[in-house]
Amino acid sequence: MSLGPHLTGDLSAHGIGGQADLPIPLNLAIAGGVAALVISFTVLAVAWRTPRYDEDGGGRPAPALLGRLVASVGFRVGLRVLGLVVLLFSIAAAVFGRESQINPVFGIFYVWLWVGVVAVSVLLGPFWKAISPVRTINLLFAKVAGGDPDEGLYRYPERLGHWPAALGLFAFVWFELVYPAAYELGPLRLWCAVYLAVMLLGGALFGNRFFELADPFEVYSTLASKLSVWAVQDGALVLRSPLANLATVPVRPGLIAVTGVLFGSTGFDSFSESSAWVTYVQGSSVDGEVLNNLALVVFCLGAIGVFALGSVLTGVGPERRRRTLPDAYAHSLVPIVVGYVIAHYLTLLVEIGTRTLILASDPFSKGWDILGTGDWSEPTWLSYHPTVLASIKVLAVVIGHVLAAVAAHDRAIRLLPRRSHLTGQLPLLVAMVGFTAGGLFLLFSA
Amino acid sequence: MRRRLAALAVLLVVTVSAAACGDDASGSGASSDGERVSVAITVEDGATTPSGATVEVPVGEEVDLVVTADEPGQIHVHSDPETELDYEGTGEPETFTLRIDRPGQVEVESHTHGTLIAKLVVS
Repeated sequence: MSLGPHLTGDLSAHGIGGQADLPIPLNLAIAGGVAALVISFTVLAVAWRTPRYDEDGGGRPAPALLGRLVASVGFRVGLRVLGLVVLLFSIAAAVFGRESQINPVFGIFYVWLWVGVVAVSVLLGPFWKAISPVRTINLLFAKVAGGDPDEGLYRYPERLGHWPAALGLFAFVWFELVYPAAYELGPLRLWCAVYLAVMLLGGALFGNRFFELADPFEVYSTLASKLSVWAVQDGALVLRSPLANLATVPVRPGLIAVTGVLFGSTGFDSFSESSAWVTYVQGSSVDGEVLNNLALVVFCLGAIGVFALGSVLTGVGPERRRRTLPDAYAHSLVPIVVGYVIAHYLTLLVEIGTRTLILASDPFSKGWDILGTGDWSEPTWLSYHPTVLASIKVLAVVIGHVLAAVAAHDRAIRLLPRRSHLTGQLPLLVAMVGFTAGGLFLLFSA
Repeated sequence: MRRRLAALAVLLVVTVSAAACGDDASGSGASSDGERVSVAITVEDGATTPSGATVEVPVGEEVDLVVTADEPGQIHVHSDPETELDYEGTGEPETFTLRIDRPGQVEVESHTHGTLIAKLVVS
């Protein structure tokens, strides 16, 4: 996605474009790919032979003062208020603001929510869960009605798992990347209204459990937060290594679909902007929208399929069913997703994220400066240093790959019978190298 | 184990930074002879050529878009800030000169027909 300033206020039919990043240089892409390949097999050859990480996580207690702060009512309420204020502000901008790219609601939705929340979650822990306005509204309803926000009318059906979240994430990426009027207020309002309605209904039916498993933004944010060093164990704030934290991702049905949609759609975003694809679409007799819809589905299903295949091609013990393996390994795809998302969206987050804050100071385009940020300028340093930017991107992708390979290795020696420890990991490792090489290729070519 | 991981990290940093340092020599091949880059754009019977072409442009130097069209229309250049070019469509070539100071990729779109004409790779 490239979100640019339409200062004139009109909207082009063919998407919105500001300036996009330069492609990463070929030598850097190759170096990254080779590093990923070498490190993968080094991990396989030299890493530990008994599992080190389990669902308990462990970790060291965080400083007591920090623990008390995070657990305090003021801190929690403050974050809930923040989430609610930003929601109300966005609704006001979406309803009363101008139909134009200078309306901050687009940046809030596509950059702050989609990229910013994930970035904060990687650094500080499950951010959306803390600010989620749908959780807050559900909580307020429960308080008014004298109920418990954790309890709904029914129990959430466990076999649904994360499938609703995967569907919700797909609905978001479809709207953002394929739907032609994603940058018009009407469709945006409709999307958000449906999201809010489904979430509030789900919250009423199934309680907070619904948000934990089915809210697409919460599931994404909480998965990303497993790469942070923060966790809460038995009510206490603890510090643990990202790998130990990652191993605590609960294995649920549909987890593979969540990670597959996230990775596939980000890949599609790169791919759909490449000259080769655009030229093909424009030269084709088939409608471009149909082709883009198909390509998005192919990318998402492709990512899920390749990962699932890499997981199941192994020997398994008698006590384990083969088709549970993709979800059992899916947490290891999270670092690859996050690494690639950082590479893909870093400049967008820094530059357009700041631009959104500037625009938010004048939400109705009336010349206001209510936040005092109206005269800020965008930080364009990254754009002017393309080599540094490209190096950060490749490092993010390769570090993500290394974490993924280690996480998958640790899970494999826990899940697989001893005779399959080495051979059973190979297909998954090949799938991961494929993802990383594919991601680097897209960063190079698009 | 910790030492092995550290070795891996060092290997990784060395590989990537070596590649990053070797990058400086690369430039845009198309215009290394010092001539300014020119993009010929034709709009005829509602079809634009080229379609999704990639054009290398040196940063901070002038580039000409030469538009030959059979009816009036508008081209959007998605730089920051965006530039809009109105052509008259007389059938004669009309030249628009741009200069882009910030490295990146800039899409040149036909606003009239909603197609991507070219992508300027500014580096």
